[in-house]
Amino acid sequence: MTNDVILKVQDLQTHFFTRTGVVKAVDGISFELRRGETLGIVGESGSGKSMTAWSILGMVPHPGRTIGGSIEYLGENLLEKSAGEMRDIRGSGICMVMQDPLTSLNPVFTIGDQLMETLRLEYNEPRRSLRQRAIRLLANVRIPAPEDRLINYPHQMSGGMRQRVVGAISISREPNLLIADEPTTSLDATIQLQYLRLLKDIQEQTGAAIIFITHDFGIVARMCDRVAVMYAGRIVEQSDVEDMFDNPGHPYTEALLKSVPDLDTDVDTLPSIEGQPPSLDALPVGCSFEPRCPYAWERCQEYPPEFMLAPGHSSRCWRAE
Amino acid sequence: MVTTATPNAPATTAAVEPLVRLDGIRRHFPVYRGNLLRRHTGTVKAVDGISIAIPPGQTYSLVGESGCGKTTTSRMVLMADAPTEGDIYFDSRPMRQFTGAERRNFRASVQAVFQDPWSSLNPRMRVDQIIAEPLITHQKLSRSEVRSQVQELLNVVGLHPFHAERYPHEFSGGQRQRIAIARALSTRPKLIVLDEPVSALDVSIRAQILNLLKELQSTYELSYLLIAHNLATVRYMSHIVGVMYLGKIVEESPPIELFTNPQHPYTKALISASLPAHPRQQREEIVLSGEVPSPLDPPSGCTFHPRCPFVMERCAGDVPILKEYTPKHFTSCHLYEDGQTAG
Ligand SMILES: Nc1ncnc2c1ncn2[C@@H]1O[C@H](COP(=O)(O)OP(=O)(O)OP(=O)(O)O)[C@@H](O)[C@H]1O
Ligand SMILES: Nc1ncnc2c1ncn2[C@@H]1O[C@H](COP(=O)(O)OP(=O)(O)O)[C@@H](O)[C@H]1O
Ligand code: SF4
Ligand code: SF4
Ligand SMILES: [Mg+2]
Ligand SMILES: [Mg+2]
Repeated sequence: MTNDVILKVQDLQTHFFTRTGVVKAVDGISFELRRGETLGIVGESGSGKSMTAWSILGMVPHPGRTIGGSIEYLGENLLEKSAGEMRDIRGSGICMVMQDPLTSLNPVFTIGDQLMETLRLEYNEPRRSLRQRAIRLLANVRIPAPEDRLINYPHQMSGGMRQRVVGAISISREPNLLIADEPTTSLDATIQLQYLRLLKDIQEQTGAAIIFITHDFGIVARMCDRVAVMYAGRIVEQSDVEDMFDNPGHPYTEALLKSVPDLDTDVDTLPSIEGQPPSLDALPVGCSFEPRCPYAWERCQEYPPEFMLAPGHSSRCWRAE
Repeated sequence: MVTTATPNAPATTAAVEPLVRLDGIRRHFPVYRGNLLRRHTGTVKAVDGISIAIPPGQTYSLVGESGCGKTTTSRMVLMADAPTEGDIYFDSRPMRQFTGAERRNFRASVQAVFQDPWSSLNPRMRVDQIIAEPLITHQKLSRSEVRSQVQELLNVVGLHPFHAERYPHEFSGGQRQRIAIARALSTRPKLIVLDEPVSALDVSIRAQILNLLKELQSTYELSYLLIAHNLATVRYMSHIVGVMYLGKIVEESPPIELFTNPQHPYTKALISASLPAHPRQQREEIVLSGEVPSPLDPPSGCTFHPRCPFVMERCAGDVPILKEYTPKHFTSCHLYEDGQTAG
């Protein structure tokens, strides 16, 4: 079923060439994504999650550059595409969805104009039929009285409705791949749940694969089929979601899962991970988790390769050797 | 003495005077239109009649959607803002009647730690200056006394003595939050307001800071007023939890009871929306219809009625009153009157 694979990232390297040295923001990561599948990428701030996303979109900011590996999208290597070709792909096949919808809607145009503009790029049809399509899209994302809403400006809608409009725009592009990069600060639980359900709706309607970038294991548990844990620019563990929660293989994943308070149980003291997240310009030579790892021993002075713990479940830790 | 060695120890409040008590607090903001000729066009009822008590040595947490009035409440507790109605008592004295000396004592006794450790510390000050600043404004101390207190505070929050000479940008988020905590502790406060103290921090750092806060609470018998979105964090930290909706407390209870037996429909929706910690664990998700209404024009009767899945006829007309339906568990909802129960 290899033709089911939408995205295949291999040994991706995106580095920043700063005055003070090279920052290896993404340092050799590999993963695959199938149609309709959701991959969660979790990890600390600065571990390279967003840069992975920008690399796929071909939008790595200066002074960063993707210097190695390949990103195969529907069988073609995106790293060999021209800027113009990448723009087309971002306009249709691969979409970034923002959790904060205010940043992606233009405040000076009505919702109807913005939706129809997107649709016009896709369908060369008269305005009247574009309008019908726009109404259907708003109805699909469950906006009540969609006809009346077309003449609204973004500020006349509530946050939740704006989210739905952005969702409607994403669906109109019939994407193969959605990338959602969650901001670090959390939304209200009830609003967040609305947003997660909207993404699932979009996925059901379009069959798109989703990459969900998050700090929150609760979101991973709710949304994802597979999960990749990043630490210091590398994927240190990758697995099916249930297997990850049941049998975390990497000490970092294990500690992270334990340190999250749970609404359904009481503990006296949370098990915490001591020390600080590493700084990418001063990484240890060996395993980058070594300074914080309770299991570290001499072997860990050498960087661990990827070991398979079970089919589809890998860990970069010498304990799995 | 109140101990907090065990989490969520039953509130020993019955006999103990609260450290801080809010009595019928309202904070209404006038709203104006127009730039030249300003017209008074309405009132935002940011806080609309709340009464809560924070016991010594314990944590009172406020939860609720953004805009429901949590921060406004905490600003009044910090005396950064004054209620338009009602009284706040500190050590049984109403703030309105504070003498100059009482006010100075209050400023030292109540401190705050905010969400964003990136913007809450002055980037041009060294860590020792940041920590010593409140200390110097409240006490006359010699330079060597200040230095030794700063060293002690750094030690208490798990930082090193050599950190004193560095600037905030040289620290990670978790370390900056430790600096903010050290600064807040410097005046030996009785109450610290914690407004989302860990939500801007990395997941792997949050547990460290939460554990530090708990440890400090039991060592120094601190009271906390905690504001947090993450309900699991609230359960871990609190002795009493108040659920706010549109400027009012709609439910209040010790956390275990609240999270295992929520009564108010809004609390139920809030809990159902918080994500379980394991993929096989399912929660019934109550999806609320409609949006949070504006505090400028709150709905009549029970302000939750336009979104409530259990709404009844009388809810649009009668304002429900916060009542103790089971011991220490207060709810304001018509469903529980006349011995009825919510489904
Ligand atoms: N313009 C830049 N110059 C130098 N380094 C950069 C630049 N942009 C990003 N980096 C570095 O690249 C690394 C990865 O950044 P990235 O934004 O991918 O992190 P992230 O995992 O998305 O974090 P967060 O959870 O905070 O969003 C970080 O160490 C960051 O400091
Ligand atoms: N100075 C002000 N003038 C007018 N409205 C205000 C002011 N401060 C807060 N509000 C309003 O009061 C309500 C409660 O705000 P806030 O206490 O900050 O909410 P929370 O902290 O729960 O997110 C909001 O609707 C907010 O817009
Ligand atoms: S390789 Fe060693 S230091 Fe790294 S995570 Fe495994 S045991 Fe810990
Ligand atoms: S009083 Fe009525 S509307 Fe309000 S929460 Fe209770 S049942 Fe719902
Ligand atoms: Mg990011
Ligand atoms: Mg607030």
